[in-house]
Amino acid sequence: MTEESKPTIDRRRFLTVLGASSGGAIALSGCSTGQVEKLIPYLVQSEDQVPGVATWYSSTCTECSTGCGLHVRTREGRAVKLEGNPEHPVNQGKLCSRGQAGLQGLYNPGRLKGPMARAANGQFQEITWDDAIARLAGKLGPAGNKVAVISGAGRGTFSDLLSDWVRALGGRLARYEAFASEPLRAANRQVFGLDQIAAHDFGRAKYIVSFGTDFLDTGLASIEHARGFARSHGFSERDVAKMVYLAPRMDLTGLNADQWHPIKPGSEAALALAMANLLLTERGARGEGAALRGALSAFTPEAAAQETGLPVATIQQLAREFGAARPSLAVAGGAGSQHAGATEVCAAVNILNYVAGNIGETVRFGADLDTSDGYGALQPLLAALDAGQVDVALVHEANPAYTLPRTSGFAAKFQKAGFKVSTSMYLDETSALCDLLLPQHHALERWDDLRPRAGVHSLMQPVMEPVFNTMATGDLLLRTAKAMGGTLAGFNASSYKDHLQARWQGLAATRKETDFAAFWHGALQRGGVFTDPPAAPRVSLAPRGGQVRYTKPVFEGDGPFVFATYAHSLLHDGRGANKPWLLENADPVTKITWHSWVEVHPDTARKLDVRDGEILRLTSPHGSIEAPVFVYQGIHPDVVAVPLGLGHTEYGSYARGRGVNALDLLGAPAGDFLPYISTRVSVEKTGDYKSLASIAGNSRQLGRGIAEAMSLDAAKKGLTVEQAYLAEGHGKHEINTELELEAIKGWSERQIQDTKDGNYTGDHPRWGMAIDLAKCTGCQACVTACYAENNIPTVGETEIGKGREMTWIRIERYWEGGEEPGQPVTAHFVPMLCQHCSNAPCEPVCPVYAAYHTPDGLNGQVYNRCVGTRYCANNCPYKVRYFNWYKYNQVAWPEPLHLQLNPDVTVRARGVMEKCTFCIQRIRGAQNDARLENRVMRDGDVVTACAQACPSDAIVFGDVNDPASRVARLHQDHRGYRVLEDLNTRSAITYLAKVLLPAEA
Amino acid sequence: MAVVAQPHDAPEGHVINQTHAEVTRDVVATLGPPTRGYVLLLLGAVSLFLIGIATFLVLIKDGLGHAGYNPPVFWSVYITTFVFWVGIGHAGTLISAILFLFRSPWRTAVYRSTEAMTVFAVMTAGLFPIIHIGRQWIFYWLLPYPNERYLWPNFKSPLIWDVFAISTYLTVSTTFLVFGLIPDVAAVRDKVSGWRKSIYSWSSVGWKGTDNQWRHYSRAYLYLAALATPLVLSVHSVVSWDFAVGIVPGWHGTIFAPYFVAGAIYSGIGMVLTLIIPLRRALKIEHMIHSYHFDNLAKLTLLTGSILLYAYAMEYFVAWYSGNTFEQTTFYRRAFGPMWWAGWSMIICNAFVSQLLWFRKIRTNLTSLFVISIFINIGMWFERYVIIVSSLSNDYIPWAWDQMNPTWADWGILLGSFGWFGMWFLLFAKTFPIVAIQEIKEMIPMPRRRGGHG
Amino acid sequence: MRKLAYVVGGVAAGGVAALLTLGGHPPYAQQANTVADSIVAPVLSASDTGSLKGPRQPIFFRHDIHAGQYKIQCQYCHYSVAVSSEPGIPSVQTCMGCHLVIGGSDSSHQTEIKKLRQAWNEKKPVEWVRVHYLARHAHFPHQRHIKALGPTACATCHGDVQRMPQVFKVNKVDNMGFCITCHIERKVSRDCSVCHY
Repeated sequence: MTEESKPTIDRRRFLTVLGASSGGAIALSGCSTGQVEKLIPYLVQSEDQVPGVATWYSSTCTECSTGCGLHVRTREGRAVKLEGNPEHPVNQGKLCSRGQAGLQGLYNPGRLKGPMARAANGQFQEITWDDAIARLAGKLGPAGNKVAVISGAGRGTFSDLLSDWVRALGGRLARYEAFASEPLRAANRQVFGLDQIAAHDFGRAKYIVSFGTDFLDTGLASIEHARGFARSHGFSERDVAKMVYLAPRMDLTGLNADQWHPIKPGSEAALALAMANLLLTERGARGEGAALRGALSAFTPEAAAQETGLPVATIQQLAREFGAARPSLAVAGGAGSQHAGATEVCAAVNILNYVAGNIGETVRFGADLDTSDGYGALQPLLAALDAGQVDVALVHEANPAYTLPRTSGFAAKFQKAGFKVSTSMYLDETSALCDLLLPQHHALERWDDLRPRAGVHSLMQPVMEPVFNTMATGDLLLRTAKAMGGTLAGFNASSYKDHLQARWQGLAATRKETDFAAFWHGALQRGGVFTDPPAAPRVSLAPRGGQVRYTKPVFEGDGPFVFATYAHSLLHDGRGANKPWLLENADPVTKITWHSWVEVHPDTARKLDVRDGEILRLTSPHGSIEAPVFVYQGIHPDVVAVPLGLGHTEYGSYARGRGVNALDLLGAPAGDFLPYISTRVSVEKTGDYKSLASIAGNSRQLGRGIAEAMSLDAAKKGLTVEQAYLAEGHGKHEINTELELEAIKGWSERQIQDTKDGNYTGDHPRWGMAIDLAKCTGCQACVTACYAENNIPTVGETEIGKGREMTWIRIERYWEGGEEPGQPVTAHFVPMLCQHCSNAPCEPVCPVYAAYHTPDGLNGQVYNRCVGTRYCANNCPYKVRYFNWYKYNQVAWPEPLHLQLNPDVTVRARGVMEKCTFCIQRIRGAQNDARLENRVMRDGDVVTACAQACPSDAIVFGDVNDPASRVARLHQDHRGYRVLEDLNTRSAITYLAKVLLPAEA
Repeated sequence: MAVVAQPHDAPEGHVINQTHAEVTRDVVATLGPPTRGYVLLLLGAVSLFLIGIATFLVLIKDGLGHAGYNPPVFWSVYITTFVFWVGIGHAGTLISAILFLFRSPWRTAVYRSTEAMTVFAVMTAGLFPIIHIGRQWIFYWLLPYPNERYLWPNFKSPLIWDVFAISTYLTVSTTFLVFGLIPDVAAVRDKVSGWRKSIYSWSSVGWKGTDNQWRHYSRAYLYLAALATPLVLSVHSVVSWDFAVGIVPGWHGTIFAPYFVAGAIYSGIGMVLTLIIPLRRALKIEHMIHSYHFDNLAKLTLLTGSILLYAYAMEYFVAWYSGNTFEQTTFYRRAFGPMWWAGWSMIICNAFVSQLLWFRKIRTNLTSLFVISIFINIGMWFERYVIIVSSLSNDYIPWAWDQMNPTWADWGILLGSFGWFGMWFLLFAKTFPIVAIQEIKEMIPMPRRRGGHG
Repeated sequence: MRKLAYVVGGVAAGGVAALLTLGGHPPYAQQANTVADSIVAPVLSASDTGSLKGPRQPIFFRHDIHAGQYKIQCQYCHYSVAVSSEPGIPSVQTCMGCHLVIGGSDSSHQTEIKKLRQAWNEKKPVEWVRVHYLARHAHFPHQRHIKALGPTACATCHGDVQRMPQVFKVNKVDNMGFCITCHIERKVSRDCSVCHY
């Protein structure tokens, strides 16, 4: 939306407009017939807003440093959903849970309503922006160069402006972010002399080894990686890439690996170097290789075996397989494996990739991914603060008071600054320490751009009126400069938007664009300017680049267990902790919601005599925390792990006091990065118990064939699940005989016949879905998308404790193997949602036809007809029906969170059953459009929210009756099966069996 | 009534050595001013009922969440209690209708109280479908009525069958009770005076006891009995189909109808014993209801209890024999899963305790009989609880499995239902003859001329 | 100076008009005329609105004058009805498009139009009282109905607005009975999920 066309009505106005014009937009009671009394028109109608019709704007995600492209769906002038921008090279139309939850950042109840200053009594009080800017300028003037700025803003026009601004003042600037992949950068500098982060092409890799890198979930560019991983690892006619995971703890990436080797914490480098060494020896290296070989000769597989605890044979096999597959790919880095020796690991992996010839193939330098300078850059600034050399300290998009361990003493040092300013949108731990709060616009409310990687200029634009009285920090800097003049006199752009456009004029010039207006408009529509990354520089070993070391890991303290902590899959470094979607959506590995937990290996648990939910006290030299146990087979027996991201002391009502902060157990050693695995802990039982708010019932399939899988060669032979099962020498499945099927045949046909009345598309589609379990990584982006699209209420910790979560689509994570010692445990994921059976058990039992079959093959659920007997839920074999036990709709969306509600979907009242509708509002919408255009529906007209979000494109939706449709073809796939098919429910969802690689090959 | 067994061929122990006048006197005496004990009982019942009301109000205010539902357990204590009360309701019609048709004379002493119990039990049960639904205020959508929306209930749904089964049963059993009362009310009318007389004479609909009236009365009574008989079997069959029609492992059984009917009668008689044994003492009518009747009741209990034993055994056998993994898991967990205690208390209380009744001593000893009857009540409640909750808590998708624990809201409604039932029963016992005067009189042997003086 | 005279005159005229209409009860639009293509809207002033059917609006906007007498197409103001589920409420700007020049023939009109201009100048949208509304769990795609029944089909549900000085609810559009009857008559879908989702 551009300035000119922005409706000149204030927020209260457009709310009322919307209340009147869009059915159930802010209606909190789904089945009430209450009317809206007033109709309040726009004063001036904006031409790009048609009431009842969604307007889409492209923007850029700022939830992490990856910089994915967004498409923002707006209705009546407010954003209601975030989706990926298909044209954007980074995420190509997909978006992770954290990105989608950006919407709840925009409408977060914890947001500051306007500028505030600390009054004499120590309390914050609202002030005007003019006042605020005057105060800031007033302090900056005298401060001279004694200014320090901490910024987490991504690389782009703003960060450039900020650094210029700070330089003009002569102050200090630190670009800081909790997970900045410092070791990767350092290692690239050391080995290749490149101060860059490389991009990884998982799509071309034929063999993937991850040294504790959670590249599918919390790592850099996880969406891009998931896409590539699905291409190389998801089953296709080509060979399937094997993925081996080497780390003390299995995270989501580990659960997707074909093999997991629980190595001793901190021993990755030894292993990587040994593999490189073996490759060189077996390949008879020449020239540069020979030199390297000399450097590596010390790292024998035996030594590595000693360090890691893996058998020598395994290491040799790993090396052989890794060398044989070309190109292969080894990855390192990430918070989950960030111990003191992390840089060595990354360096070792660089060598390994270099030796295997993956550089330039699957490891792409030149992409130059953006990361902050991180922990190292913060050190001098903290020192300056400590030394009292800072009069004015400004913090922007960073929360060091939370993301640094208490032992870093940040709070105390920060307090020494004379005048502390925060531009945070929320009252987080850091801004709570400040004197002046200048809340900035949310990314969806402001003009800006990002350069997440070379060749990608990604734009942001205000998609709606600001929700609160906030200001883009860019404008703040400029206005402050005006107010202050002096050293800042140079900054004379009238507004940040002008500044931005000026910069883009430069870009246009470099691209020989003559018509800037057209260029700008085009860029806004596409979401930015995307060019191919510059040709990868010729990468060679830096002088002494081969001089890699491995130092035995040392961990502070003398406790019996190494304490590992890692990035929370959804809360990330803690920035997500006040967003109900991210708290309610379960952790993909443990399936725990809303609180912290301690992962303990079963053997260890047996030794300690603890069970799930027993609260343990972990004590390190730096402090102690208490959290309930989650017994987890995917962790090294000598390690206990706690996720980061919880235990906030500020940051809003959802986050405050929830869970524990794992950082309390860590020290803050000087160095380039913060080692997240650096202490030993002693463990003691507190005797307390907490029932885990987990969405998992029984994590074993009990041989019920819910998440089916078949071996690779069976899949290549084109066997069906049944055939593959028999081929393995099992007995025959219990399935309906032909006679039985014949007997029940025509049931669904009759049903459709009965509802012939409902013919409104001219012909009957049969909406169906195909889910490829070989691609699904269990990342749960679909779950968040479903919450966003369908106004699903978050019910909170206690209700989830009673199993009352409302997740219309849930990812069931079943353990396979691991029963007897020595047997590896693997995870099978299966997204479970309403199967929209043709022969649905839920339909005949509903006494009022609230659950019934629609002519186009859906299991209709008419909320306003439902009286809540819950018989349908009892009779649903898939248990995908969810009941409103309380008035969830009145507590789930506190002001202004209710603005996120999708006006096209009824908000369900209490006492009503609800479930997946295959996004019927999207189906009806597409049908309306088709009707207006006098055409029939085409394949791809309807994409459900889950299918739209799925990063690995595992979910396909469409009309099964249309033989040409993608879904119809997938329904014919030999890997296809239906869950609980024996019940003859005739479900509309076909799952494609997961493909298992043989463990040894 | 006239058509019933002639006293002289009545079995031993089945005669009452009283004159007609004495019988009437004794029975009318039961309607006298309430004793302190009675008042206390009534107060207790009413306060329980109030607890139920309070709980219900909270449920309406906040939603069903207060009750201990843990999905996948979407039905629990409320439906359990519903089935429990419907079951209780079965003894009445059985004894008054079927035994009447079978000409078994011993029913006379107890049938009035069992009929009353039936009516009130069904009244209680009828409340639960309303209490347990999510939006109680639109329960009437379950009834077929013409409306502008052209919407009808789904006659395929067992819940709709329930609606009809229960309402029919309530109507018929009420009619049966009221009809049977007429001559006795008349008898009472003739004994009392003042405002009570006017009430009784109004409700005795001008009964004079003429031959003509008797002829029509007994004929009509016969037809009503015939009409009510099939209900005894149908109602609980329908209720059992609520479950048998579902595909939940542990519900989806063909034996459910007979199994439930037997259980219903079993529980009904259990409740009859629990009520009558104290009642006869309280009302000083021991000489009218004595061991002879209890012996027969106990035999009926033994029969139905044995049927249950068979049914339980059969359930497990079929689960094993079917080779269906879902059924097997369900029944394994019913016995050894987290709810083993409930599973076993059901089997012990119902199947095994009733076997004690093989011994005549136990059958005729009121104390032991009373204790057993309590076991039966508990056991039968647990039977429904186990069938409903344990089956739901572990069905097809292991991921969704969960246990449920009842909360105050569950207990509140349960107690309330007992209060509601007890209240009506106590009020009835003080207002109408709790034993059938006319039929008792028929058990009095014809006066015989004795030798010697006259 | 001339402006002042204008106002005084207007007020006076308004008073006269009011006096004239004080006599017999105000004529309702329904009785006003019979032939649709020659609707002459009755003379009414804001003081009559109380006795007219339908809720009293902040501005006495005369559909019978705009849509009836001057035959302005419904979609001129309700601009999105053919493309969206929402008919669209005209923005104040739309009104001002004409009423910048049109000041009103008689004083009663002028007083109302003044209100509009005032709203425009003060940037305060007019808060119309809603007449037709739908339960929030029912979705009514206007565009589908316009597409099927044609651009003049508004009257099917909203009644003969062309003759309404003050709009009132003719049909119980918020009753499912009203919808379903029509759907049955026209043999279109009776499937619940067409409207309820």
